[in-house]
Amino acid sequence: MFRSFGKLFFILAAAAVFAMPAARADDQVKIGLLFDVTGPVANFVPPMLDAAKLVVDQVNAQGGILGGKQLATVVADTQGAPQTAVDAANKLVNAEHVPIVVGPLLSGTVLASAQSVIIPAGVVQISPSATTPALTTLKDHDWVFRVVPSDAYQGPVLAKLLIDKGLKRVALTYANNDYAVGIAGTFRAAYKKLGGVLSADLQHDEKKTTFRTELATLAKNKPEALVLIAFAGASGVTIVKEALEGGFFTQFVGTDSLRDKVLIEQVGEQNLKGIFFTSPSSPPGTPSMDAFEKAYSAAFQTTKDKLFIQQVYDATFLAALAIQKAGSLDRKKIRAALRQISGPGGEIVGPGDWKKAVDLIAAGRKIDYQGASGDCNFDKSGDVAGVIGHFVIENGSFKQVGIVTP
Amino acid sequence: MDTGTILYLLSLATMTGLYAILTLGLNLQWGFAGMFNAGIAGFFAIGAYATSILTTPPAEDRFGGFDLPIPLGLAAGVLLSAVLGYAIARICLRLKSDYLAIATIGIAEILRLTLRNEAWMTGGNRGIAGIPRPFEDMEQPWGELCFLLLVAGIVVVLYVAIERAWHSPWGRVMRAIRENEEAAEAAGKDVVAFRAHVFSLGAAVMGLAGGLMAHYLKFIGPDATEPILTTFLAWVMLIAGGSGNNRGAVLGAGVIWVIWSGTELLTQRLPPDWQTRSSYIRVFLIGLLLQIVLQRFSHGLLPEKPPRPPESDSG
Amino acid sequence: MPDWSTVLDFVGLYLIPGLVTGSIYALGAIGVSLLFGILRFAHFAHGDLMTLGAYLALSVVTGFGWPALAAVPLAAAGAAIIAVGLDRAFYRPFRQRPTIISVIASFGVMLMIRSAVQLIWGVQSLEYKSGIERPLLFFDQLRIQERHIWIVGVTGLLVLALHLLLTRSRIGRAMRAVSDEPDLARVTGISTERVIQVTWLIGGALAATSGIFIGIDSHIDSYMGWNLLLPVFAAAILGGIGQPIGAAAGGLALGLIEELSTYPWIGDNPLVSPDYKTGLAFAIMVALLIWRPTGLLRGRQF
Repeated sequence: MFRSFGKLFFILAAAAVFAMPAARADDQVKIGLLFDVTGPVANFVPPMLDAAKLVVDQVNAQGGILGGKQLATVVADTQGAPQTAVDAANKLVNAEHVPIVVGPLLSGTVLASAQSVIIPAGVVQISPSATTPALTTLKDHDWVFRVVPSDAYQGPVLAKLLIDKGLKRVALTYANNDYAVGIAGTFRAAYKKLGGVLSADLQHDEKKTTFRTELATLAKNKPEALVLIAFAGASGVTIVKEALEGGFFTQFVGTDSLRDKVLIEQVGEQNLKGIFFTSPSSPPGTPSMDAFEKAYSAAFQTTKDKLFIQQVYDATFLAALAIQKAGSLDRKKIRAALRQISGPGGEIVGPGDWKKAVDLIAAGRKIDYQGASGDCNFDKSGDVAGVIGHFVIENGSFKQVGIVTP
Repeated sequence: MDTGTILYLLSLATMTGLYAILTLGLNLQWGFAGMFNAGIAGFFAIGAYATSILTTPPAEDRFGGFDLPIPLGLAAGVLLSAVLGYAIARICLRLKSDYLAIATIGIAEILRLTLRNEAWMTGGNRGIAGIPRPFEDMEQPWGELCFLLLVAGIVVVLYVAIERAWHSPWGRVMRAIRENEEAAEAAGKDVVAFRAHVFSLGAAVMGLAGGLMAHYLKFIGPDATEPILTTFLAWVMLIAGGSGNNRGAVLGAGVIWVIWSGTELLTQRLPPDWQTRSSYIRVFLIGLLLQIVLQRFSHGLLPEKPPRPPESDSG
Repeated sequence: MPDWSTVLDFVGLYLIPGLVTGSIYALGAIGVSLLFGILRFAHFAHGDLMTLGAYLALSVVTGFGWPALAAVPLAAAGAAIIAVGLDRAFYRPFRQRPTIISVIASFGVMLMIRSAVQLIWGVQSLEYKSGIERPLLFFDQLRIQERHIWIVGVTGLLVLALHLLLTRSRIGRAMRAVSDEPDLARVTGISTERVIQVTWLIGGALAATSGIFIGIDSHIDSYMGWNLLLPVFAAAILGGIGQPIGAAAGGLALGLIEELSTYPWIGDNPLVSPDYKTGLAFAIMVALLIWRPTGLLRGRQF
């Protein structure tokens, strides 16, 4: 008995040890992708991984990184929970020795991995999508960054947009996850301050499959619109559908979590007249957003209207640029380099401009990466300021029609 | 071996230790008293949240911020878990095996839902960050090493204490109850009280595991108390290791955690085109390896020596 | 005179949704209850069997272009066969061991089914048919979705069919014998393995149907069944363990309670806050286990 158990354990342990890189492949530079692949946001991850892959393909097609080396990514799955996030971060940072980390996506896994692994080890972490205000005040010795504005921005902007459009009396429902609860909180306060009235204010459980009774409560007292802060693929689409079918609402307002192609696919554009969204964005007409969208659609023959892919692209591209600028895999140098290439100030490079950026760096010139998701200029806390776009649906996809300032 | 690899191995060992504590607590309830607790997540959560609320500095719009020292926070979590465990045991003790399981699931889920929704107290979905960790001011890897030694020390102390208790007069009563409840009752032993005490002790140990985990991760949120990563994992560790067996509990924690974490190192080796799916392959592999371990070692990696626990399907 | 408008609102917005949710729970709970009665273990992979059924139907829908309801028989049959296969591979080795081991094995099977679904069909949210379906209108105010009538109706028929099977057929009587008096059943020469196989066939088919109904009513994703697992267990307990028809009643009751609990019975606000709806199912389950362990209809005593 002991012998056979011993054999099994030995095999497993050996596999684990041998699987760890004994000698790192010297012709590859690996960026760590610490993503919540399984768990509550599993639905949204594959397009994001594609966005990261786009960066890798573009870099390798345009001459490689650090003198012609291949760029690659290595994925570790946080499984959506703090303890497994810490384990995954350990694998990336300590076992795989990645020079920089992109991710995670959830505020909780970011906080856990940042405090337990990232900050002690001293490696840069760029989250594409964690919106918790706690990241702004986190004592991170400047290791933790994000390319999405904190939800302290989007809430007040949403409130202002509603008031500007004359919607002074609305119903609010939001999913029971950290993203939605956060934005709902800042929205609620700002909306009331601007004189708006919330005729109903309900948190809902996004794991449920039907929300008719919630809608009955929300539609009471005839509000002018339903403000829906939920992920389209989870509860968002279902709520919109049931609201339309039951005649509860016709006017919907959403945030970036609802601004997902699956909404158009499953509900139908003709049924979504008048719907509008707020979403972190770049000023309209910026070449960056179009450049990214073209490249993405071409590479994957699929829609660009998926959640957070711009942010993931930007975070990965920034990571690659920082490595290139640092000239080595030294984590401290990369941290300094990241601030140098993100702007403001310098010659503008955008999505896909890898060769241009490499040449400029080699010539000793300062560059400023302007991303698909925004200008990516980090402030002293590692945050980005919010440019929040106003979006509608047109011709089967989402179109930005303006910028909203609080 | 460089610092990075050492740190990774330290983290593997620390997680193993934390889960070993959790599994030892479960074995108290299952191995000693034959009680099937499927609500481990609940006790884990209480321990984690109690210490988090007590030991963190003040935060706006959240109750708490007492900034108390870590041992006090841990003690509070242990105490609360023990009390809850005792209450549940006394109420539910008529229920046998799988039915107690479902009652405990229900209670744990209600508790978790409350912790998620009542943000004024627990930070809700946002969770509680900035939880202090013992030895965190020390340089790497010494801080991590000291924490591991702390956890390992606790595992050893628990193990010795439980083994001692098993061989004590009190332990003999528990064994008698487990073997033949009616006879024990006839001999005048208050079976319900004994069982409730053991359940409560097991719950206390689970609370300790939760508290230590919160300090290790420096963050707690509703997702950390997910049943898969607490209840499910502890049971798998216990059964795979050798049901009813303390050494098996610790060994099971090690083997299963290495499988859980290590399989990713394997799937990361897949070619880049497979990267989007490697995480799902990894979960599949975990499920499959579990079946292999169960079938190959169907008495557990370290089976318990007789006398064996009674069959759990009765009635 | 009752205010008809309020009554119709109640029926359309609370009662009928409750029946729909209840039907979905009922079909899942029957399988759980049967498996518990005959195999004596809590089948934790049942939710993911529901998920599997929904995805199998999706393949039929996209492959043949049939509407989702028409895909039910084929998908249910597929799930049924897969269920028997899973039993052979992963549960049969433990027939003679303590049931806890089968429970642990079912945890692993749950992970395997879910990840297989994710590998084969992907993780994005999907559906059988896109777009909105206008409801049928009765009495100028009562709106009922056609698909709800189907869901409740088909569930009712399936429950009836099961009842007839259990009471009138030989295999049904054998199943009841194995469930209620296993030793006696063995002695009288009933093939336990055969009964077990039939149980898996029925359990798998009903779980698949339940999953397809979830997909028809809202959408399909890889966690859909898992999210409903605990309420399904609660429903089985509610109806009395080992009492499949009771489980159906339990599922219906649970669905109704969940939806009706958010009705503003007193005053203007929902009686129970919607984000505690799930908790309600568990609270009822726990209360029942403590105070009436035989369930609403007399089931096996714990």
